[in-house]
Amino acid sequence: VSAGADDLLDRLLANARCDTGAGESAEAYERRGTSIEIVEDAEGSRLSVVGERGFALRLFRSGRTAFAASPPDAVDGLPEAARLLLGRARARRGVRAAGPVAGAGASALLAPHAPDEESARALLASFRSGLLAAGEGAVSLSEAILTTGARTERVATTAGRDVVFGSETTTLVATVTGRTGASSASARLLASATRPEELSLAGLAHHAVDRVLLPLRGRPLAPARGDLLLDPTVAAPVVGRLAPAFFGDDGDALLASRTRDGRDAFASPLFSLVDDAAVPAGPVKAAHDGEGTPHARTVLVSRGIAAGRLTDAAAAVRLEQPPTGNAVRRAYTEPPEIGITNLFVDPSAGVPPLDLLRALARGLYAAVLLSRPEVDFPGDRFRLHVAGYWIEKGRAREAVSETLVEGRLSELLRSISAVGDDLRFVPSGTGGAGSPTLFIPKWKGA
Amino acid sequence: LSDAAETFRQDAEDAVRIVSGLLRRGEGGEAFRERRRRVTWTANEAGLLAPAFAEERGTAVRLRRGRESLLVARDGDGPEALREAVREASRRGGGSPFLKSRGLERVGAEIEVPRGDEEERAVQLGAALHRALPDPRGLSLALRVARVTVSRVVVTARQLVTCGTVRRLEAAGVLRRGHAARPFAFQTSAPWAPALDMFGRALADAARPVPAHRVTEGSVNVVFSQGAASVFWHEAVGHPLEAGGGERGSVLTRVPRAAVAPPGVFVTSDPTRGDLPGHYLADDEGTPASPAALLTDGCVDGQVTDRRTAGGASNGHARCGDFRRPPRPRLSNLVVSPGRASREDLLAACGNGLYVREISAGHADPESGRFTLFVESADLVRKGALGAPLGPFVLTSDVLTALRNLHAESGDATHPASGLGLCVKGGEGVAVGGASPAILIRGLTAVRGRP
Repeated sequence: VSAGADDLLDRLLANARCDTGAGESAEAYERRGTSIEIVEDAEGSRLSVVGERGFALRLFRSGRTAFAASPPDAVDGLPEAARLLLGRARARRGVRAAGPVAGAGASALLAPHAPDEESARALLASFRSGLLAAGEGAVSLSEAILTTGARTERVATTAGRDVVFGSETTTLVATVTGRTGASSASARLLASATRPEELSLAGLAHHAVDRVLLPLRGRPLAPARGDLLLDPTVAAPVVGRLAPAFFGDDGDALLASRTRDGRDAFASPLFSLVDDAAVPAGPVKAAHDGEGTPHARTVLVSRGIAAGRLTDAAAAVRLEQPPTGNAVRRAYTEPPEIGITNLFVDPSAGVPPLDLLRALARGLYAAVLLSRPEVDFPGDRFRLHVAGYWIEKGRAREAVSETLVEGRLSELLRSISAVGDDLRFVPSGTGGAGSPTLFIPKWKGA
Repeated sequence: LSDAAETFRQDAEDAVRIVSGLLRRGEGGEAFRERRRRVTWTANEAGLLAPAFAEERGTAVRLRRGRESLLVARDGDGPEALREAVREASRRGGGSPFLKSRGLERVGAEIEVPRGDEEERAVQLGAALHRALPDPRGLSLALRVARVTVSRVVVTARQLVTCGTVRRLEAAGVLRRGHAARPFAFQTSAPWAPALDMFGRALADAARPVPAHRVTEGSVNVVFSQGAASVFWHEAVGHPLEAGGGERGSVLTRVPRAAVAPPGVFVTSDPTRGDLPGHYLADDEGTPASPAALLTDGCVDGQVTDRRTAGGASNGHARCGDFRRPPRPRLSNLVVSPGRASREDLLAACGNGLYVREISAGHADPESGRFTLFVESADLVRKGALGAPLGPFVLTSDVLTALRNLHAESGDATHPASGLGLCVKGGEGVAVGGASPAILIRGLTAVRGRP
């Protein structure tokens, strides 16, 4: 990525030649990114260093939109490409270029700083030693992939928006193998944070050890009625799967049918669901979304009642509410679409998880997920394949190698009787999904 | 992108010299250039919505020394991007590259703007959607349909190798009817007109109401249709035979030459099959494409390899999702030899069980051999005849048991699988294909549900 700034983005916007009198508008977007990826496995070490710069243009006319993207050397062809496609697009209310953002002023888009390879390698070594220590000789690391990068972005529109912003992201993917006697189990674990030093390596190492050793050391458990305690790492992926129901006005019918047009609660009064790009523990930290709109803290479920939606600029117009700043660009080559930042169950009314454990009279503490959770929101079903511990009077009686927790999703959400204060995030969709420990008494299939 | 490969050739002489000047004694490596063009339409039950055009161009320089490798990627596929990547690779890997050029100018750097034929294609796609869903009442559709063209070349220290230009039609999304939702995925590398017909038929099939009848959980005999069998072979045999599976290897690489399937079963990863989506002329390291035998007469025969895992003996299966990612041994088109049985013969041999028409996704753990297949469309089989259609369910087993229980006779015809699309491994997708006869496997485990 070349340093410094040029006028390619301004030229792109000018070349769009919008006829504002005919209701035309345009949005130009530029991204600069740099990242490194280190892969360590049995065959050695691989380093990838990636620098990118890309441009995109969206043309709008009477509710229609068309998108075109390219790297810098082909940017002059984008207006013609978008204009040609615009003729075949269908109109939808609210689709137009966004206006100015308060407090934002145009500035040059500089290349982001290059990630530090040495500190990334040191972090991987630290994770490896932490995992081996936590696994006490029974766990090995088959493959570790650390990716860390930064990007800067600029959004300018013919309606007067001109915003420059930046963000960072780090992801660790570890393939871990546990062995006891002749048996072995492998698992792939993910963690993400804004910066490498924000990754909770010790927490990830302990979770990885549980994930591969619990299935080997415990006994299978047939589903039985009892209390249910969901660890944050089990509950968070389920929370992440709820997100699409809150995407703009597209999920309205679905959400209405699940709550009988708002007459029923979405969840228990202890359950509040929030999307917030500024929450301290979240893996996403950003000031603006992919359309340049400032991120907001959005309450989607307030004390069990569905209360909000995540929107981009167009959905906000249709819903007649301010945009929440949830237009996400996965890559410069893709148009923005609604997505989550940090979506989490609010733990502010939570209690220490040990208190929840002590309150568990007889039931299951689901400590790890053994496979991707099955969450069918339209069908109101869920199924979790988990391992953990059978608890009686607040004490672990035996390890459970695998069991199924399944039933109606709405019943699970409405039966939550306590939440912990131990909010943790897992990577999910376009951001992170988070949950504290959740307590569900007398679950019929735990 | 008809002339992308020609554009790449214009500065081939300079590029080869630069790559050859970069490599030091004991080092392997190459440069990789990619141009990817994508026209995407979002579609709902009312028709096509927002169109999107994207062109990506990238250059990667890769170095390998012993157990270490380095990749430097930059946007742009011209001489300047190559020089910039080489400079960065030299800075990180040592050495002083030779960057002088003979001043060969590149033309064709400007974007290839979609022309009138793109409008025509949009009209045809809209018509195909309408034909597939003539009465969309009660149906909600969220699809992305894309026409993708990818051109790649590899610059080695000796020559510029053309990997080929691949065109395909992809579609992915969700169909909802009432409270039932089902995923939809489709891919083909067939020419535009037949591709649209195939897409329309697949979409019409997927839009049928989900049957209320649910599978009985437990051990079951299963006849796989040609398309469903391709997914089985890909997950159960293909993935465990991708080289580089770690220190313990996979359940199949640990038993080389062992007879794991009935005699007469031949499974090959064949990138030279031009009618399938996993086709290429040379792999992403520049090794010429060649078929790799995985199972020969029922015995484990080989793996798909790249230069990192096999050095000069690579069988041309180094593949990367895009220029930013290092290549790894990956499957191409998994082709299985046909037998002599008709579908009716297989159903009769099955007796009571299931006939699986479509599998939407699957995954396998090569080390343990466990695999899972997500079935979208299936029928009951009762006394050798097709019965009631079933709602979605999951099939699971382990590779060695499934191959041991494979019926000795398989279907008498193979057919390209349209449901086998992008294969995602480690978050990186590559286009794959398959062609298999129908097969019968006894004793798989059926579980209700869908992820």
